[in-house]
Amino acid sequence: MNASIRGPRFRFEPYFAFAARAMAREATYRFDVFTNIGSILVRVYLLRMVWVALYAHNAAPRDLPLHAIITYSTVALLMGLVMDIDQTRALHERLHDGSIATDFLKPISVPLYYFADGTGEVLFHALLIVPSLALALLVVHVDVPSFGTLAAFGLSFFIGYLIGFCINFLLNCTAFWTLEISAVQMIVTWLTGLLGGELVPLVFFPEALQHVVAFLPFASMFSTPLLIYVGVIGPERYLGAIAVQLLWLAILGAIAIVVWRAGAQRIVVQGG
Amino acid sequence: MVRVYREYWRINILTTLEYRENFLMWLAFMLVYHGSAIATLYVVLHQFPSMNGWDFRQMAFMYGFWMLAHALHNTLFSNVSSIPEHIRDGNFDRTLVRPLDSLFATIATPGQIFPDELLLAAFYFGIATWYAGVHVDLAFVVLVPLIVAGGALIDLAIDLAISTLSFWFVRVDALKWITLQLEEEFTRYPIGIYSRSVRLVLTFALPFAFMNYFPAMYFLHKTDSSLPLPAIAGVLTPLVGIVSIALAYGFWRVGLDRYQGVGH
Repeated sequence: MNASIRGPRFRFEPYFAFAARAMAREATYRFDVFTNIGSILVRVYLLRMVWVALYAHNAAPRDLPLHAIITYSTVALLMGLVMDIDQTRALHERLHDGSIATDFLKPISVPLYYFADGTGEVLFHALLIVPSLALALLVVHVDVPSFGTLAAFGLSFFIGYLIGFCINFLLNCTAFWTLEISAVQMIVTWLTGLLGGELVPLVFFPEALQHVVAFLPFASMFSTPLLIYVGVIGPERYLGAIAVQLLWLAILGAIAIVVWRAGAQRIVVQGG
Repeated sequence: MVRVYREYWRINILTTLEYRENFLMWLAFMLVYHGSAIATLYVVLHQFPSMNGWDFRQMAFMYGFWMLAHALHNTLFSNVSSIPEHIRDGNFDRTLVRPLDSLFATIATPGQIFPDELLLAAFYFGIATWYAGVHVDLAFVVLVPLIVAGGALIDLAIDLAISTLSFWFVRVDALKWITLQLEEEFTRYPIGIYSRSVRLVLTFALPFAFMNYFPAMYFLHKTDSSLPLPAIAGVLTPLVGIVSIALAYGFWRVGLDRYQGVGH
């Protein structure tokens, strides 16, 4: 390939354009957007009833009073708007229909192209958090922590998002070897829901299990930012919690790079 | 029709045998899917031993009813949920020119279907029944299959009604997905915990409560004063299933009559 012999100077502009185009594309599915927000409201409403019933008949856990658990569930649902997106789905789709071959011919970095496209999609869904939150506040009360806590939550959420990105990217990369990946993707989604603390806080797990799940990458995606938000992870533990997240990010990021290189190599070989 | 249906199952099983790895991956997903639902119940009830008077054993038994009915629906009628997709890509139109009923033709479109989930559900239900200490007598053995069949019809009716909407609206996938999500997430709890309006919806509008809640209450000899129905409602599931599917099928016919294709 010519581009690899004397590549053009690297420019950022095309990637901004890719992201903007992805945002515009997402905005066209208006019906999906409304049902998405509607479903969050219904779930916030029903989850509140579930927690109210549980707290009414049992002793409240020490760390998480009723208002904190309702906040936890609501914030988790809103995070899901962003976290549940498979940003690099395009990679799998393009491997499936073969159009990835033409992507490699373009004078762009292919992984960065997918990253930009996925980021555009995610940014659009991140914007949806605003109306969803506004409507959710009509149904439930959400605690607002101090500015410092919010900042730590934001940082932790961002690292969690990058971890999720790496996991999704790795799963989509397996399409270089086998094209049937949806079952594996769904297994990971369900495991994240349970072991990541998206549905039920990990602090409710039996003691012995808690120690195991706390150190899986799933916990770094949802549980750590959420526990920071509701104050179960106090300021003195921010550093440790975020260090574990960064460790997972480094490990998964490194694996992703290795797997991508190996996979991309295969494509070139097949293409002749 | 019987011959077509038998052939449909023959192709399904042959396809499954051909794509063994894929089958095993989906089997693994199914284990994770039901496993994580039961684990969630376990974790919640580990922290909060009582949910409106229900303990983990009783809720595990209730989940068994839903799992069986839902698995039966998935095994027999999973094609119904792909109707919107087939309407969009024009494949549905093929069933209209066939001699057999178009809904039957849709249901009997071979894929890669295998009764593995149903077998797993039956196995789980057996264990959950023992675990919850439910008394098994002749009435139980006769009633449970009828209740499960009724539950599968309720599931089918709701699925069919949503699919029928796609005669009018092209994209109903999000609605379908969300209904399933709400079904699996919120019907695993005793509906007594919800507000009156939600209880009424789950009893009369989207009668998911008849799939698991009322039958489980009946066999566990529980009562719930918050509901307008007596305990015997638990064995009415077959009837509710028949009424639901009759209504949904009527709606389907209305949609089918006005359907003119999406323009291919």
